[in-house]
Amino acid sequence: MSFAGLVLDGLLALSLPVLAWRALSARDLYRAVILFITFGVILALAWARLGAPDIALAEAAIGAGITGALLLNTVGGLSRKNDKDDERPDEPTDRVGRPWRTRLAVTVPVTILAGGLAWAVLSFPAPVVDMPSLVGEAVAEGEVSHPVTAVLLDYRSYDTFLEIGVLLLAALCVWSLGLSAVRSTAPEAVSGSPVLAGFVRLLAPAMVVSGVYLLWAGTSQPGGAFQAGAVLGALGVVMVLTGLLVPSLGRGGVVRAGLALGFAVFLLVGVVSMLATGGFLAYPEGFEYGLILAIEFFLTFSIALTLTALFTTVPPREKGGGA
Amino acid sequence: MNTFFTIVAGFLLVNIAAGLVRVYLGPTPADRMLSAQLFGTTGVAILLLLSQALSTPALVDAALVLGLLAAVAVVAFVMRVPQSEREADEE
Repeated sequence: MSFAGLVLDGLLALSLPVLAWRALSARDLYRAVILFITFGVILALAWARLGAPDIALAEAAIGAGITGALLLNTVGGLSRKNDKDDERPDEPTDRVGRPWRTRLAVTVPVTILAGGLAWAVLSFPAPVVDMPSLVGEAVAEGEVSHPVTAVLLDYRSYDTFLEIGVLLLAALCVWSLGLSAVRSTAPEAVSGSPVLAGFVRLLAPAMVVSGVYLLWAGTSQPGGAFQAGAVLGALGVVMVLTGLLVPSLGRGGVVRAGLALGFAVFLLVGVVSMLATGGFLAYPEGFEYGLILAIEFFLTFSIALTLTALFTTVPPREKGGGA
Repeated sequence: MNTFFTIVAGFLLVNIAAGLVRVYLGPTPADRMLSAQLFGTTGVAILLLLSQALSTPALVDAALVLGLLAAVAVVAFVMRVPQSEREADEE
């Protein structure tokens, strides 16, 4: 490692905890969100330095991109107009006086937990099985040549299957909160603002091409359903925010079916493969590539739709705070 | 050459740190949003430099995704945050 690389790593390692602390203790919600987005960018760079381009890609898409927009969407929905005169609800928690019993009740378990975690990490036994080389050997025989995709959708497909279930549950939970439908602050913004309309027009094709590219690339290099879904979902988010998609994306049966499609196809493949080979999600010999690609395709669609659906509702604005 | 790329990447990272001063000072939410956009652009540049320095072509894809999605936050900001709050000096 060269000296320059060492300095770069040091800067990254130094800025991450500082940013995390500033984001958590920020007095202003906007500032916290901006710091969170910055944290996502720096974290993506840190993963890149650590030689994990897959995670850098996912962090760039989800941490720095989608989550930042989702948080801004929420902050924009929480009106601050009405609490200007009252006590500010976004005061930093460390300025709020708490009795020593409360502090002790929080500090002691957290310290014990942190100490236990540190002890567990330090006392890890040497791995008995050399997983990376095992995966490497299996990938050399398999048809999906990118190890991360092979692990996610072949060797550990059960985990991925449950993750998709969690995503579906998240969308259902947000819907059941009974929030009001998203309403942009300027309804005719797209027709009224040539900059925004032109921006969306430029961004949309690039996002569609990149999304499909990432899905296709996932079999041989970093990419795959989650990243492709995040990019296509971001396109849906932009269209919801600019008012292009709201009338057509309600909660009808088609949208519900679309949300469940990825999970359903994954389950179907699992059951059929169980009937054929006797193991849940144990793909029959020779069909791995086609099945994995089919699952990834439907997953991408459902992930993109789920992310878009998360943006169609917002927390209610307080009375008088409406746009 | 790799050392050169790493040095430039480090310089750009220091630029992000300098931009954090603007996030801290504000004064309006729009100022903070613009610095976040600057971080997105700088992050793209750093990822591209690192993809060369570490010979990891996949990082170019990460840069592409970051470039595309960093813009989504500013659309959310413009469309969802009311004009009055966007320009309000909250201090």
